[in-house]
Amino acid sequence: MVFTEAKRYYVERRVWERMAATDSPSFTHYFARLRTDTHDEIQQFVNAFTVNETYFYREDYQLKCLTNDLLTERLGDKPAGDAIRIWSAACSTGEEPYSIAIWLLENWPRVDQYFIEIVGSDIDSRVLDLARAGTFGKRALMRLPPALIDKYFDALPAELWRIASALRDSVSFTSVNIVEPDQTRPHGQFDIIFCRNVLIYFDDASRRIAAENLYENLLPGGFVCLGHTESMSRISPLFEVRRFADAIVYQRPGITRS
Amino acid sequence: MSAAPKTILVVDDAALVRTYYRSILEGAGFQVEEALNGLEALETLLGGMVDLLVVDINMPQMDGLTFLRTLRQKQGPLAAIPALVTSTESAEADFAAAREAGANFYLRKPVEREQLVLFARMLCGVAS
Repeated sequence: MVFTEAKRYYVERRVWERMAATDSPSFTHYFARLRTDTHDEIQQFVNAFTVNETYFYREDYQLKCLTNDLLTERLGDKPAGDAIRIWSAACSTGEEPYSIAIWLLENWPRVDQYFIEIVGSDIDSRVLDLARAGTFGKRALMRLPPALIDKYFDALPAELWRIASALRDSVSFTSVNIVEPDQTRPHGQFDIIFCRNVLIYFDDASRRIAAENLYENLLPGGFVCLGHTESMSRISPLFEVRRFADAIVYQRPGITRS
Repeated sequence: MSAAPKTILVVDDAALVRTYYRSILEGAGFQVEEALNGLEALETLLGGMVDLLVVDINMPQMDGLTFLRTLRQKQGPLAAIPALVTSTESAEADFAAAREAGANFYLRKPVEREQLVLFARMLCGVAS
């Protein structure tokens, strides 16, 4: 991988991301960690530079937030049996939407009380094909406890694992460019949207359009989760910032609470 | 030597619910098959018997109660497969409707893991 001065921002983003992930108070601290390869940091650092390569249970504090707070709020005005719609708006090869499904199965005892619909979308049709196939390597599974791998994946030769077919059926995949309203609108409105580490790749104008589209795709009172280095407040005034115990998320205002 | 595992057909239109019940029931030693609605369940049963049905009520194409009524009118062993109904509906009228359709037991969603395993075992006659 070669990074010129023009890619400075891209590089810095990833260094910050790793510093945040390792709780490093300064670059000096982080650099020491990298040099000594503490907790496999070199590999983690390299991973941070590989676009499209995400992994299961990434930024799981937001998944905690989902089951601890967001769903409870969304259920306020929903009778049992109603739909809960969750959108992974830039899902790459499917790790995020499948993670959401596994997380709900493992951590949300009311999972059978609502009709949960999980949609994974991406602009890149090749990654969507991979997402539908649901075959993953060791790196994608590195954060999943082995018991969950046994439970929800079938081992294939060559250190590959395929997600159980039942789980594959619980996520639907669609192609979408989130900067194009004509493509986002048909997806309808969601209770919760995950759009993590995507907007950082856009310029200001596209970012603003994407934010407006996300807003339109949310039900009033619905939430959008961004990556931990991203802030919606910098992009758009449409959302209310909500701070929960596990994460900060952005909410489309509009419901009157009783 | 342990007996062959009992087979349960989970009939529910929500994929995540089917996966949820599957993981719980497989964890308890059952074999699990799935159907998306009553029609698909009837078709699945043409292909082979199961030991227990776990049936949701609100489903497209054919709902759970219509499915049970249809099944109970059939000839032979199919008509007698025990059925555990699981539903978010929880009024007395819903329990009554399920009984009239031929349900053997009724669990209100959300169903607790332990409850699902307990009643699946009892309805299959598996010692626990």
